[in-house]
Amino acid sequence: MGRTYLVVTFGVGLGALNTGNNLLYLVLGLLLSVIILSGVLSERCLKDLSVRRLGTEGAFAGEPFAFRWGITRRQGHAFALTLSEVDSPLTGEGGVGYLPAGAEHVVRADLTAPRRGPVKLSGVRVTTTWPLGLFAKTRVFALEGTLLVYPRRGFACEDPLDAAVGHVGETNNPRRLDGTGDVAGLRELGEHEDARRVHWMKSASAGKLLKVEREREERRTFILDVKTGLEGDVLERRCEEVAARAHRLLEAGHEVGLELPGTRLRPGAGSGQERGILRALAWLGFEEQREEAA
Amino acid sequence: MTRPNRLRLILRDLGTGAAFASMAVSGQLPIWALGLFVVALGVALTGRRPFARLPKLTAMLLVPLAGALYLAVASGRMDLVVAACSFAGLVAGQRLLSETSTATDGQVLLAGLLMVAGGAALSGELFFAVCLMAFAVLASLSLGLAVVEAAVPVGEPVPVRAVMRPLAVGTLFALLGAVAFFILFPRLNWNVGARRASPGLGTATSGFSDTVRLGGSGTLKSNPRVVLRATLTPDPLTEQLGAYWLGRTYDTFDGQEWSTIGAPKKRGRTRVTLRRGAETQVYQKVELLPAYGSRTLIALETPSKLGNALAHTPTGTRRTLLQELGGDELRFVEEGLGYSYEVYSVPPGTDTDPGKMEQLEHDQLLALPDNLDPRVTELARQVLGDEKDPLTAANKLSSWLQREYEYTLELGGDVTDPLTEFLFVRKAGHCEHFATALTLLLRSQGFQARLATGFFGGERIGDEYILRAGDAHAWTHVLVPGRGFVTVDATPPAFRANQSLELLESLVSIYEAIESAWRTSVVDYSFRDQMNFVRDLTRPPAGSGEKKRLDLPPLRAWVTAVLVGVAVYQAWRYLSRRKPRTRALEATRFVDAVERQLATVGVRAGDGETLEDVSARLTREAHPLAPTVSPLTRRYLEARFGQRALEPGESAQLLKGLKQAIAALPPKEKPREKAQA
Repeated sequence: MGRTYLVVTFGVGLGALNTGNNLLYLVLGLLLSVIILSGVLSERCLKDLSVRRLGTEGAFAGEPFAFRWGITRRQGHAFALTLSEVDSPLTGEGGVGYLPAGAEHVVRADLTAPRRGPVKLSGVRVTTTWPLGLFAKTRVFALEGTLLVYPRRGFACEDPLDAAVGHVGETNNPRRLDGTGDVAGLRELGEHEDARRVHWMKSASAGKLLKVEREREERRTFILDVKTGLEGDVLERRCEEVAARAHRLLEAGHEVGLELPGTRLRPGAGSGQERGILRALAWLGFEEQREEAA
Repeated sequence: MTRPNRLRLILRDLGTGAAFASMAVSGQLPIWALGLFVVALGVALTGRRPFARLPKLTAMLLVPLAGALYLAVASGRMDLVVAACSFAGLVAGQRLLSETSTATDGQVLLAGLLMVAGGAALSGELFFAVCLMAFAVLASLSLGLAVVEAAVPVGEPVPVRAVMRPLAVGTLFALLGAVAFFILFPRLNWNVGARRASPGLGTATSGFSDTVRLGGSGTLKSNPRVVLRATLTPDPLTEQLGAYWLGRTYDTFDGQEWSTIGAPKKRGRTRVTLRRGAETQVYQKVELLPAYGSRTLIALETPSKLGNALAHTPTGTRRTLLQELGGDELRFVEEGLGYSYEVYSVPPGTDTDPGKMEQLEHDQLLALPDNLDPRVTELARQVLGDEKDPLTAANKLSSWLQREYEYTLELGGDVTDPLTEFLFVRKAGHCEHFATALTLLLRSQGFQARLATGFFGGERIGDEYILRAGDAHAWTHVLVPGRGFVTVDATPPAFRANQSLELLESLVSIYEAIESAWRTSVVDYSFRDQMNFVRDLTRPPAGSGEKKRLDLPPLRAWVTAVLVGVAVYQAWRYLSRRKPRTRALEATRFVDAVERQLATVGVRAGDGETLEDVSARLTREAHPLAPTVSPLTRRYLEARFGQRALEPGESAQLLKGLKQAIAALPPKEKPREKAQA
């Protein structure tokens, strides 16, 4: 819009000079005045700002993730600020319409990272087009940081691998994979879980499918791996597969370990283990940067 | 997507309406364009956007309209500027009714901006200033709200209250800045071309036609609009002038209408002398305003010399000729919205030569209508008796009419015999009835007389006198042997000047004063005014020369100097900050050129490979270009990061060396590189 505005201003200016029409001079004066006003007010909006990066809970490649910054203005108020990461492949920006003085405002943005791996963050760009949206004024706040982008979430189309440790349960019988340990409790039947372990009476009273949990029951251990020598798209695809499979297995209650070139993650269960697996996969191929970050 | 803020859309639509109004006040836009836009604006303000479903089809409808406008322009039926403005209005209307989006908002306001520019080209009216201000305020508020709305996350409310106040303050500063720019922006061309397209408050009021028809209501008498401004030399120095300003005279009455028997003279002249003047004449510099609405010159009775006329037309001011018509009327040859000219008049009470009159015209001063009611002659005889002196007879009849008849503006429509109706039935009328009655009563008794029309009065405003449309008047000229035509007015004195309400007169006076200030301060603001303004800033005001001369310049000179100094310092700082960036850009352009040259022989940088990497690779591969590229790379790094900018012409020289090296490559190198690439 700013370019169009400048073109119109130029045209009106030419018209004024060519015809000597004072009213065109008046319109030209208004247009030029607005340009100056736009610059001054935008500059005032960007004064006295301080920004800190709050980051994200988890960023997966190729899909929007919530990212947050905290922005404060010591004196005066600011309008129409948009925040984004400068010089990074992250796309998307967050905005705040009105920033009063003194209070920190948390700006949330849905950013998208195009690929897996660590993203070096050098600063936060704060932009405003206040007051008239004709021209954008920007200030960059230097803030070093690293955002670890996990592999793209997808679907693992291969069948689950054989369990590294299949004999679970008290009997230690390889043919009794369902286990026969003591009843540890009841919980809702999860996706992909064996319906044979449903406690039908309890389910009927609760109105939903409840599964009997037994000690050490059904907890098998899987070791997932990424072979050495993979590069480029093949490596990316493999990382995505491993991440998806780990998610599925962990969600089913199994223990999952990970073997990567030069790195090994002991088997474990739960969301913490999944986070560890994702983190390890995200650093795969970017070990040098990991050392630098460390 | 969030629902657009309703207030913002209303402000946007009203702003566009104001922009359109800035063109519409010129009165030149065709009625259909006015109608279409008003309908579109009305629908848009109700919040409905019927064109949202068919944006392309409705946009296509503009094409035939553009074609029709083009044909109208090509056939000479429409002015090009008017056609362009009409089309801009149609585009704005189409956009108003389309789906609201950021792009649409921009287009609507851009169309508004173009319409304001069109309005400036079409009209120099005061209403244009009002529309311009309204557009600036409304569009700024709308844009400001749009900017905040875009930054607010989806689902959260727009902080309208918090935004409006700073926006309003900013808009006020923008308007003040516009005034400052207007005053100071150098007028490289001071040929003022603003169109004075209309007389301001509606249509023009008075107007001298070839005939005067008796009857009808006298609404003109209550019209307070100023139609004439004049400065008199010598200045009478009275608040109310009470003078007769002559426009034209009529000598033939057919029972209903007055007309003139004299034929117009075809030749136009710049100056016209009607009669020899007395030693001391009254000089008048007259300006007929657009509200006047006629081409007939007006002058204090009795005019002797008129000329040096300027016509103010929509395309500028230029000299115009005068044409003589019957009844001592002078008209401007060229049609204009307003006129300025000079007049010399013989002082009242001076014996004057009636001028060159043919026998036919002379005889016509005694002519009576064929169907004159015999009671008129009888009535005159009864009032005058055996009176032989024309002036005494006229005064007698005048006094009698003022005594026996009433003044009124409330008259019905046309009647068959308005004179008989006035004298014997209603016994009430306005100035034309009184003047007609006196003239015909005199003629019926053998006294030569004619009807004169013009204005009566003169209200002092500052150093000049003004006449209002309500001051239009009619009276009688009696031909007195040896003295010429003498004015006798039968209308009661209290009703000769305008009869408008005092309050209305005050309001219109305020408007006229603002409009006058607008014209002098804005429309006619020139390079000379700018120079005077700057001179006034730096020099003591005129008249202070008598005071003791100060050794130091006045305070305003210091203030101006400080302001100029701050502006220069800020500009210097701004340019200083830009300097390193320019150098960096030069280096970047240089490296781009180097890479383009290398690409011609297949040497291309890979992903993330810098020129330094490319240079190292070429050195490793013992490429023939390596010795040439290596110093280029070093020079680029120095320029880009080493604070040693490229000298003027240096990049061209370095590139020339690279080109020569590429040209000198052995032929086999090029295919090899191309194959690798």
